[in-house]
Amino acid sequence: MANFLAQFQSIKNSCDHLVIAVEDVSDLWPTIKTGFEERLPFRRACLNNKTRNSVFLEKLPAEFILTTDARLRSRFPQEQSLFWFREPYATVVLVTCEDLEEFKTILKPRLKLIVQNDEREWFIVFVSKAAPNNDQATKSAKKVYAKLEVEFSSKKRERCCKLDLHCPEASFWEDLESKITECIRNTLDRRVQFYEDEIRKLSEQRLLPVWNFCNFFILKESLAFMFEMAHLHEDALREYDELELCYLETVNMSGKQRDFGGVEHGDDQAALLNPGNKPLTQIVQDDSFREFEFRQYLFACQSKLLLKLKRPFEVASRGYSFIISFSKSLALHEKILPFCMREVWVLTACLALINATASQHNGVVPPDVEKEFYRLEGDLYSLCRVKFMRLAYLIGYGTDIERSPVNSASLSMLPWPKPPVWPSVPPDSSSKVLEKEKLILQTVPRVKHFGIERKPLPLEPTVLLREANRRRASLSAGNVFEMFDGHIGSVDGSGPDASIRTSPSQRVRASAMPRTNSSPGNFDNSIDRPMRLAEIYVAAEHALQQTISDADLWKSLSSLEEFEQKYLELTKGAADNYHHSWWKRHGVVLDGEIAAVCFRHGNFDLAAKSYEKVCALHAGEGWQELLAEVLPNLAECQKILNDQAGYLSSCVRLLSLDKGLFLTKEREAFQSEVVRIAHSEMKDPVHLDVSSLITFSGNPGPPLELCDGDPGTLSVTVWSGFPGDITLDSFSLTLMATYNADEGVKALRSSIAIVLKPGRNTITLDLPPQKPGSYVLGVLTGQIGHLRFRSHSFSKGGPADSDDFMSYEKPARPILKVFKPRPLVDLAAVISSALLINEPQWVGIIVRPINYSLKAAVLHIDTGPGLKIEESQVIEMESYADVSQANADIKLGDGAQIGTLDAEKHFERLTLHDGKIDLPDWASDTSSILWIPVCAINDTLTRGSSSDTPQRQSIVDGLRTIALKLEFGVSHNQIFERTLAVHFTDPFYVTTRVTDKCDDGTLLLQVILQSEVKATLTIYDAWLDLQDGFIHTGVGDGRPTSCFFPLVISPGSRAGVLFTIRLGKTNAEDESKAVQPESILNIRYEIYGDRSTGAHLPVAVTSSGPDGSKRDLIFRSAIVLQRPVLDPCLAVGFLPLPSSGLRVGQLVTMKWRVERLKDFEEKIVSQNNDEVLYEVNANSENWMIAGRKRGHASISTKQGSRIVISILCLPLVAGYVRPPQLGLPNVDEANVSCNPSGPHLVCVLPPVLSSSFCVPVDS
Amino acid sequence: MIVCVAVVGHQNNPLYIQSFTEADDALKLHHIVHCSLDVVDERVNNPKKSGPTLNETFLGLLYPTENYKVYGYLTNTKVKFILVTTDLDVRDADVRNFFRRFHAAYVDAVSNPFHVPDKKITSRTFAERVSNIVKSFGLSSAG
Repeated sequence: MANFLAQFQSIKNSCDHLVIAVEDVSDLWPTIKTGFEERLPFRRACLNNKTRNSVFLEKLPAEFILTTDARLRSRFPQEQSLFWFREPYATVVLVTCEDLEEFKTILKPRLKLIVQNDEREWFIVFVSKAAPNNDQATKSAKKVYAKLEVEFSSKKRERCCKLDLHCPEASFWEDLESKITECIRNTLDRRVQFYEDEIRKLSEQRLLPVWNFCNFFILKESLAFMFEMAHLHEDALREYDELELCYLETVNMSGKQRDFGGVEHGDDQAALLNPGNKPLTQIVQDDSFREFEFRQYLFACQSKLLLKLKRPFEVASRGYSFIISFSKSLALHEKILPFCMREVWVLTACLALINATASQHNGVVPPDVEKEFYRLEGDLYSLCRVKFMRLAYLIGYGTDIERSPVNSASLSMLPWPKPPVWPSVPPDSSSKVLEKEKLILQTVPRVKHFGIERKPLPLEPTVLLREANRRRASLSAGNVFEMFDGHIGSVDGSGPDASIRTSPSQRVRASAMPRTNSSPGNFDNSIDRPMRLAEIYVAAEHALQQTISDADLWKSLSSLEEFEQKYLELTKGAADNYHHSWWKRHGVVLDGEIAAVCFRHGNFDLAAKSYEKVCALHAGEGWQELLAEVLPNLAECQKILNDQAGYLSSCVRLLSLDKGLFLTKEREAFQSEVVRIAHSEMKDPVHLDVSSLITFSGNPGPPLELCDGDPGTLSVTVWSGFPGDITLDSFSLTLMATYNADEGVKALRSSIAIVLKPGRNTITLDLPPQKPGSYVLGVLTGQIGHLRFRSHSFSKGGPADSDDFMSYEKPARPILKVFKPRPLVDLAAVISSALLINEPQWVGIIVRPINYSLKAAVLHIDTGPGLKIEESQVIEMESYADVSQANADIKLGDGAQIGTLDAEKHFERLTLHDGKIDLPDWASDTSSILWIPVCAINDTLTRGSSSDTPQRQSIVDGLRTIALKLEFGVSHNQIFERTLAVHFTDPFYVTTRVTDKCDDGTLLLQVILQSEVKATLTIYDAWLDLQDGFIHTGVGDGRPTSCFFPLVISPGSRAGVLFTIRLGKTNAEDESKAVQPESILNIRYEIYGDRSTGAHLPVAVTSSGPDGSKRDLIFRSAIVLQRPVLDPCLAVGFLPLPSSGLRVGQLVTMKWRVERLKDFEEKIVSQNNDEVLYEVNANSENWMIAGRKRGHASISTKQGSRIVISILCLPLVAGYVRPPQLGLPNVDEANVSCNPSGPHLVCVLPPVLSSSFCVPVDS
Repeated sequence: MIVCVAVVGHQNNPLYIQSFTEADDALKLHHIVHCSLDVVDERVNNPKKSGPTLNETFLGLLYPTENYKVYGYLTNTKVKFILVTTDLDVRDADVRNFFRRFHAAYVDAVSNPFHVPDKKITSRTFAERVSNIVKSFGLSSAG
């Protein structure tokens, strides 16, 4: 059957659509041909696919061919069955007839004859030629058509349709189309069935020796082709897939070794998209298909269908795997293939695929498919690029290939081509060899920037020199090698090619030696001599020229410039496509390769941009090793571009990389660059983030604790990543309040330049007062020359963690705590009881620091009115063991207790300057008492009062204030103010009473002295200076008997002194004295008290104590003595109360009788002598008075006239109370005689128990 | 032959990378591992495509190249293990087995209280264990 192949091929080429046969019975075709062919290609046809599912086709091309056409005739029956796919899929029978008779006699038998062949799908088109106005003709045509339908149509299937030539019905064409489609569908189904049966039969015989792949191929491809003609591309594709599968199985079967192919000229150009590249007959030999061509053919057919299906993505995806797998096959057969055939084929295949798919790709696919597509395109470009670089390397362009990780990864793991024998140097090529040698010599070793020394990455799997020579002279490979090695010196893994270029001394040696051999004569017998590198290049170039048939490709390899151009094109293609895909890293890395080329060509701007992207990629994910490879390049670009900011940043980044990545020397070079640029002339200061290089942290341990308002010094640790000392011109650090971000950031500055050593540095900063809260370190900023840097990075007590290149970890630990305002000190008065007034007294002030040092504190003392400080006296200060504090300390712990108890007793005398006292140092931490001598002044004389109506002095009178202001803290920033109240009093409170009126007019006056102070008072003497109208009895001055003195009065107790006086005029000499309105009691006394409890010896007395001239204190008090009524005019008598007694709540009438004792003769001037003004006074707490309290009562001026004044009163409280009193304000007291004469008490009983008085008790 | 194994953190930062080649060309392996993250990312971000292997830690062959193979493994904590081998004929089971042991070694290494999470693994014990696992790669199935 193999001989049918040629025919099959030509049939396939000639027809690419379905054929519809036209049986033109009545010579109608020429008339209606146009109308029919206008319907082509059919739209919206519905066919069945292989699985008998309906498939709607947008377009189905077909061709109408007359059965009389030569193409449909003269076919052998055998051919017909084999190439059945080209037979007509439908037969249209065209008839016309206007006469029923004619139909019956002629047309019907003829039609029966035509349609009797059941194989064919047919239907009849009746063409009516009748003109529309010719009713007769129309009618008969209708009749004939009706007859026709009866004869040929069945219930199952209508096989007739009618075409009116003159006025075709609209529905006709649709009808026709559906009928044709139906026929095609049926035919197709039948034929598919047929082919499937045949294929199944063949498949069953697969393992028999007679089985022939060629037959299978023809059947399978026929079926596929038929599907393709019917536009059932999916099915066609499936057939090809099955065919490929089957082929791969047979071709891999052992014992069926065949010719592989691929040795013909032009085979190096991949034909994986061109099914018609070679005629099938050429690739089939003795029923065997050459793998090289046939697999490409199959793939071409598949890809053609996929492109028709608009699936370029699938073409690319299948294509990529096809190339990979096919490349493996090529590798297996590399021995028989031309030199580098495999590389060239892959290269061309990738390019072809890229061209085909990229042009077809229109972007109307889901985004993920689109991304995948771009990824595949990128992969294809990338593969292509690798192969291209390999070829270029072989012919000596390796020097132009960047030894980057990406190139090294793809090239150094790609084995060398393995030709059976390495190509040898062609004859007469010594000039070329010389040229190549020159090229090698001229190549300047590429020096890395900053003098970085690195072993270059390999681009070759093994040393090319060795590989080529080994392959070339397999006979004495071992010897050649050793000899060679001996000459060249050390040969390491990275290859002499590399070492030649990197070390100039070796290069000279290596090149000098072969130069002696390079005389032309040596070429002829070069088989014994190992080839030199230049020779290998020349030989490879020559061999490649033989292999490569594509002129464009060869041109790309013809010169360095061309190579570079192509290289750039491929790299860009790969990078662009990767950028559109998910594979960003691939894209960015290739950008770096483009940058390298740009850099070489002086296009530094572009290079820098691309390098920046690469650096960002590597830095972002912390791939420091890779970053260290690219960053110097970027820095160099920026240096050349004079991008100072960028260059500085790059240098800093280089410095912040892992220390192990660069030598110290290199790192020092980076630093010196930083310093040089920073101090150079720059237009604008550069801002730079050096978080990775300079890190900082607070000192370990608890945070610095400060009270509100206190300044302090903050010590921080700064880690410098610079390899050497670096001077920071300025330095500042911000503090951030935790929990309160908007509180703002406080910057702490250090004005002086700081030199940072490599590694750990401790820096101390002044800390101004901060608001309460806890603070963490914020940002470190500083300046080196014009470089303003900032660092956000915190180190946890170690050097910069290079892993966190971009991460800013905030430490949770605060560095500073400023406490909320709290009492830091307390000032209190020592005593609670009163001090002596008008005497200098010690006022004790307790100064108690509360966990805060009072070092260098200053106390301002300001006394209030009525108080003055005894300036002449020094102020005493002594330590104070606070009992309550000590108790608290004991509770706290033993240590505190010991501290308290061990506290030394201090005592010091201080002087007051301008109202200020500097506190001594010893008092800074312990409580102390400050004794201040003060004197309260009160000019008024104290008054004694009658014991009947005691009138206590108001406490307020003895109150004095001392305003205290304590300035303390580190810079006297803390101020504590307090005003203390100190109570002063007289030593005694005096009350008097007349105990007895003797008959002889002597009055016994008892003076009761109540001690007012918490001190022991000793009375040494007491005397009374009497007022006018009173005189002492006896001859003495009225002093009490002296033997009673000294009289000691304990604190709070009372004493009494009895004076005997009588009414009387003083002597004449006394009259010269001013009339004394009141008597004065004088008491000479002494006081013994403790100043810490209250009144005590006056300060001056204490101080003059040693002299012995003790000055006794004198207390003076005024006493008013009332003379008895001498000239009564009116008598007021309190009338007795009812005998039932008084009760609370019971009204009672109080009655007074006022009686005129004698006439008011001398008071005649008064206007209303017959009226008297009265007033009732009562304690409102005890009594409620109903009625007029004050008023005039008329009383006759005659002697003896009397009236009774009564007032209704209500007692409010029970007990002995003073009743209301009737007073006569208009009458002098001396003229009123009262009964009872003095104040008296009445008894008020509690109210009678009554339920009405029960009030609910509040809960 | 396994040429390189690597542990890559969840932020795609290298945590451990060890090459097993004699030549001084570790950088190219860094590149291969780094670029293979593209594939891991792609698979993680496109769960549709990964289909049934979604819940599996073993990512399989990341991409076929002509000359070497890269396998990936993704732990639940999004730590990636990458294996680069020049062996073109590798059995999936061997790789799975390798990763399982490697994972165990990794878990032990990061369980060390002195290990800082997400920082480079510097444990010498881990390095030794990894080197043993690499040495024994493929032996168990061959034997």
